[in-house]
Amino acid sequence: MHLRNLTEIPEFTLLTSITNPDQELHGLFASDLLSHVMGNAHEGDILITVLSNINVLGVASLLDLSAVVFTHNADVPEAVLRKATELGIALFRTKLPTAETVILLHNKGV
Amino acid sequence: MAPYSREYDIKRNDIANAGTVASLTKRALKNLGLTGEFIKQVTIGVYEAEINVVIHSYGGQAHVTIDNDFVEIIFEDKGPGIANIEQALTAGFSTASSYAIENGFGAGMGLPNIQAVSDEMDLQSSEDGTYLRIKFYIEEDDYASA
Repeated sequence: MHLRNLTEIPEFTLLTSITNPDQELHGLFASDLLSHVMGNAHEGDILITVLSNINVLGVASLLDLSAVVFTHNADVPEAVLRKATELGIALFRTKLPTAETVILLHNKGV
Repeated sequence: MAPYSREYDIKRNDIANAGTVASLTKRALKNLGLTGEFIKQVTIGVYEAEINVVIHSYGGQAHVTIDNDFVEIIFEDKGPGIANIEQALTAGFSTASSYAIENGFGAGMGLPNIQAVSDEMDLQSSEDGTYLRIKFYIEEDDYASA
């Protein structure tokens, strides 16, 4: 599965543009604690979280994560959208809870 | 190679800029051709320590040195210090404010993560401030093959 395929998932809304649509997606990491993300997520992972503050982007950028999916229809501040665009990080939002998002992506082969 | 040396001010509660030291250090290590795995270890250590200064201290500095065979980062802050270092090193123990927790921090994993990724860690603390030195040795196989 590639990053652009995430835009074809009806439950997901793309909040930014995608700069690297052909990036392959290998793994998922779900957590709302940034130290857990920092210590355990792998390069290229999709981060699934309900946290939508600017620090999520800091961690995503430092770990070279492929995308961030905000669950539970989380509000994403304008500043976060601007920063994500600047850093080239793809952001998605879904109404689904975190666990269901993980299952959905897992079933699609991520 | 001349040692790379940088100093940064870290402001109290400046969560929006937290990660700047980690990000700039990561870029410097990338330019030196070090492997992604080595860079990740350093980045985790620097990020966690930087966050600690932002959310727990009255502000401080970071001094980054990169030499041929090591990376060393020293964090010094102006207090209030760590009351019990042993507790602070226990995974899951946290004294973080609700402000820090709302921003995704305060899991009690910062110092344990730093200890896990670094080769050397020296932590001293009093009411006047906390001194944290972390060091990563660069081995030959930490350079990505050209």
